[in-house]
Amino acid sequence: MKIAVCVKRVPLTQEVDLEIDAGGKDVRKGMLAYVINEWDNYAIEEAVLLKENFEGDVTAVTIGGEDDEEVLRRCLAMGADRAIRVDPGTLELDALALSRILSEVIKGLHCDLILTGVQADDMNEGSVGIMLAEHLGLAHAAVVTGVEPEATGATVRVELEGGMDEVTKVSFPAVLSIQTGINEPRYVSIMGVRKAAKKELKVVKVEDLGLTDADLSMKTMVEEIFLPPETEGAQILEGDPGTVADEILRIIKEKGVDV
Amino acid sequence: MGEIFVVVEHRQGEIREITYEMFWKADELCETLSCSLTAVLFCADRGPFVDEIRTRADRVIVVEDEQLGHYSGDLCREILVRLIEQRSPVMTLLGHTAWGMDLGPALAVRTGFPLAADCLDVLVEDGRPKAIRQIYTGKIFSKVSFAESAGYLFTMRAGAFPQDRAGERQGEVMDLEMPTDLPEERRQFVEYVDTGAGDVDITQADFLVSIGRGISEEDNIGTMKALADSMGGVLACSRPVVDKNWLPKYHQVGTSGKSVKPKVYLALGISGAFQHVAGIGGAGTVIAVNKDKKAPIFRVADYGVVDDLFKIVDALKEKIGG
Amino acid sequence: MPFVHPAVDTYLGLSGYVYGWVIFVISLSLFGFVIYQRYQILDAAQPDPRFSSVVRRVRDLITYGFIQKRQPRYLWAGVLHLMIFWGFIVLGLRSVDLVMQGLGLPLLRPVMDGGFGRVYGILKDAFELIVLFACIWAILRRALVRPDRYEGSHKGEAHLVLGLISFLMITDMVYEGSGLLMVKESGAWLPASRTAAFFLREASVQTLATIHNLSYWLHILTFFFFLNFLPLGKHFHIITALPNIFFKKLTKGSIKPARWGVENIEDVETLGIEKFEDFTWKQMLDFFTCTECGRCSDMCPANAVGRPLSPKMITLKLRDYGYERYPVFGTSRKTNEKNKNARIVGDVITPEEIWSCTTCGACEEECPVFIEYIDKIIDMRRHLIETSRNPKTFNQVLMHFEKTGNPFGKPAAKRADWVRELGDVPVRILEEGDEVDVLFFVDSFGSYDPAVQAIASNIARGLQMAGVDFGILGPLEVDSGHQVRRMGEEGLFQFLVETNVETFKNIRFNRIVTTDPHAFNTLQKDYPITYEVQHYVPFFLSLLESGRLKPSKPVEQDIYTYHDPCYLGRHNDIYDAPRRLLRSLPGLKLVEMDRSRDRSFCCGGGDIILWHEIEQEEMRMAAKRITMAGEAGANTIVTACPFCMIHFEDAIKTGGLEKEMRVVDLMALFLSTL
Repeated sequence: MKIAVCVKRVPLTQEVDLEIDAGGKDVRKGMLAYVINEWDNYAIEEAVLLKENFEGDVTAVTIGGEDDEEVLRRCLAMGADRAIRVDPGTLELDALALSRILSEVIKGLHCDLILTGVQADDMNEGSVGIMLAEHLGLAHAAVVTGVEPEATGATVRVELEGGMDEVTKVSFPAVLSIQTGINEPRYVSIMGVRKAAKKELKVVKVEDLGLTDADLSMKTMVEEIFLPPETEGAQILEGDPGTVADEILRIIKEKGVDV
Repeated sequence: MGEIFVVVEHRQGEIREITYEMFWKADELCETLSCSLTAVLFCADRGPFVDEIRTRADRVIVVEDEQLGHYSGDLCREILVRLIEQRSPVMTLLGHTAWGMDLGPALAVRTGFPLAADCLDVLVEDGRPKAIRQIYTGKIFSKVSFAESAGYLFTMRAGAFPQDRAGERQGEVMDLEMPTDLPEERRQFVEYVDTGAGDVDITQADFLVSIGRGISEEDNIGTMKALADSMGGVLACSRPVVDKNWLPKYHQVGTSGKSVKPKVYLALGISGAFQHVAGIGGAGTVIAVNKDKKAPIFRVADYGVVDDLFKIVDALKEKIGG
Repeated sequence: MPFVHPAVDTYLGLSGYVYGWVIFVISLSLFGFVIYQRYQILDAAQPDPRFSSVVRRVRDLITYGFIQKRQPRYLWAGVLHLMIFWGFIVLGLRSVDLVMQGLGLPLLRPVMDGGFGRVYGILKDAFELIVLFACIWAILRRALVRPDRYEGSHKGEAHLVLGLISFLMITDMVYEGSGLLMVKESGAWLPASRTAAFFLREASVQTLATIHNLSYWLHILTFFFFLNFLPLGKHFHIITALPNIFFKKLTKGSIKPARWGVENIEDVETLGIEKFEDFTWKQMLDFFTCTECGRCSDMCPANAVGRPLSPKMITLKLRDYGYERYPVFGTSRKTNEKNKNARIVGDVITPEEIWSCTTCGACEEECPVFIEYIDKIIDMRRHLIETSRNPKTFNQVLMHFEKTGNPFGKPAAKRADWVRELGDVPVRILEEGDEVDVLFFVDSFGSYDPAVQAIASNIARGLQMAGVDFGILGPLEVDSGHQVRRMGEEGLFQFLVETNVETFKNIRFNRIVTTDPHAFNTLQKDYPITYEVQHYVPFFLSLLESGRLKPSKPVEQDIYTYHDPCYLGRHNDIYDAPRRLLRSLPGLKLVEMDRSRDRSFCCGGGDIILWHEIEQEEMRMAAKRITMAGEAGANTIVTACPFCMIHFEDAIKTGGLEKEMRVVDLMALFLSTL
């Protein structure tokens, strides 16, 4: 099975107080640490598991600068066979343009299966994967929580809302966007990543892909970003734990619950 | 007059709530843009749906065929593309759901229309459509605008809008023949599997004690369960707890879990990611405990405690026990 | 000898010397062969530099090898062993003499026939009785007392060897005794021989002669049988223990590099222990030397709380595996399909055993023959990490260490935010090019965890009160890497070390003082630096003793007991400084727990336990330790390590023991008296 996985390097923002930068369209990134996008981590793990269980070949792809090679090396250390970095130069790209570029790079790989994460930790759109499928004219399914390959396709589980899953058959070649929790991504040590440097990591420039301006033009633009409005929000209960506990119990009883 | 499409999402004979939320917003947009509201319904049997939808839309385009009984990525996409090309709706709204996320981006590529995903709001500013989204896992809001286009696509965040505006329209039903020249389906429905079934039905509880990533260790589950029991509540949780296999899925509250409507919802160590918050929209009173004063949960909670949840849990245990 | 020596006699037409030589040559050849086979294991192993500091090694060999300082930690077993050991030392000469007699080589005659010989004769006899007595007592003790720590050991072999030794003593006694009777010698005081003679007094000369010959040859045969038996079981330690002690590890608390002799970790083929040959020759020698005494497992806190770890069994499993892989007889099973690709962790040792260890060092402190455990366990962990077989809970923590320099994932920029809470105490945040007297290394928990921030704040207050010129690195500091190294992520550890060392180079300071013993241990032992590093306790003790700080206010009226943290106590031998500090606090009543100082019982640990639960645990180590504190009569535990404090507080809370016990950090206690 030939598999390609699209991965992205994103900032680690969980414990951080984000600040809006001078341009007003993005956050200040100077002090941020960067990691592989959590969904993509599950995707690459899934690809490697499929390779280990069913014989296959995995290529990891990202669009980004030299710093972004770090996540590719991680993918190689996890078990990918080769990696491709597409250098966008100074281009500003939206999901549509990103997916167009990816499709151009991946179409030559003749994959059976292409995996992406459902969405990225930063932009949270969830579009690139399925757009990529459509550029390539392939079958697709989003929010996948289980993949069982068969002869000419796979039985795929899709996570629906409200605790329901949908079991569906998708024929290869296909693009699947992978949901968290599908597997438990393995750890790769620093040494493991360094050793993976021996594997192939190719760099391709967007300008060499033969795409037109129309292909690369952005259709969706960020006009401005802002911090969440300070809504009234919660009434904060102050005091030591004992006082607070009393207050909580009082509120609960007040709302008609028998404690 | 321009049209705004709302693609109806339904499952197992019921219209999903997101559809009503989209109708609510579309109502507003139709007024702003002087458009008519068109509901697009793909189904195998219009029976359960069409009468209700007619009250929410000016017209209901129905494509009725046994192949459309369940979501079919390929068929729905192809038919919608043709419909959009035919009727040029100014805006097309889909739910930001597993199916919407499968359909929206594909439509964007085929129609060439810009797509804004997971929108909290859609507005018109200076005659141009714009959308409000969240980025960086809910910490930042973003306003997006679009390149000039004949139409625009939006997938809408569940729970972003109310759904209680009763329908007063009288939509005309327009039947559309199921095209016969559609390509083979490459994604075929097999069955539904309910992962939410379990010993406990959190959707029926009056009082939920819900735990999140903040409880740190699996070992603490026991303490939390004991607390819930001693308070006469039912234990619930957010997604990370289930992802780590600390609790079975039927305890999960949120978009991929259950929607709950208890009288009181006590959230311990839950950050308040929107996927979770989406599940507590129906809760009467939300009390949140989190040591991070900037946790998003405090925006939606009625009462908040900024402290170490374990200290509060101990205090509660003492007050109840002693 | 005034009578015919058994070797002079003839048997079946051949002189006794022939038999003597035959036995001698065959036995020694066999022995040589077996030793050579055992040596193959050492030869196949990895390098290990153990030849430095010879003077110190010789000194320790005398203390621990000959004086056997560790033996009496288990009193009766220790005393018995000392008796038998010294018996062997003294009687060694006798054995050699007897063998020489059988070979017709009178090399020792000059020595043995003179004055020395007479004195030696008495000594030898005395020891023969002592050894016999000790063996019999030991056999009875094993049969009646049945200590738990012998579970899993080869008890049959123990009895056999005790029997053999007893037999050696008896045959010599009978040989000498029968000899005395035949010569009618009664002058010399030879208690053992006289005893034997007493039992033989009725025998005829004919019988005595036969017994004399028989006992001699039985002795010789038993002696050589015993010699050849040694390398096949746990009594190999008789040969390897002294060398093993000589080659012992001189730096307690440090962890060996990925591979000795390889500067750059990237050049190491396999990180950690994948196959048996990845162990070093000293580690193999450890396997040979295990006496199966079980003291390590007996003291192991993980073992005590029901975790699947038994240090003794780790050594024995690996030894048995090694012996199977390199059999003395038969074809080398190294190429056997079943054994060829066996993974040490997975096929021989279970991962649960490996992750159960808290690296407390109790096992290493107890072992009379200085077998090392921690390095082996860490090496096995290294391989588990490299092959992604670690507990999944590590993934996020290690990622945080790498990306943010702390296990919490909190931004590095906020590492010094705790300082803001200290309104009245100005804490200098150092930058490149700064000069300061004391570099206060706060480490991650002190910087980000509220409970430990309190300790760091107290230290800062104390330093300020004493007028010490100090500063912290703030955002420039990354985690000391103590936990990372002991989790087995060696590459990440090296990265953290490099980062910190680079920072240290750009600042001028006289010494480093740390918040916690773990950082202290790793900075001093694992970092390639030569700065003076101290934990806050000895540093504050020096401030107190020099008069810069004067405790005047009395402490709360409680009964205090001090819990020795593993990384201050055992790994660094710092037991007295904290006690001296405590005793100087007015009104402090201090009691000692039974298991204190180098027998301290680990609180649960400051490494893995923070991020990984061991399912099989019956009870938390901290809970057990609190019981010990209660038994000592205390109601307050004083800790000098933040992790100990966290574990005890946790255990008190979970056990609802708030009324019976409380925990206080030593710095907080100290500060309250100033």
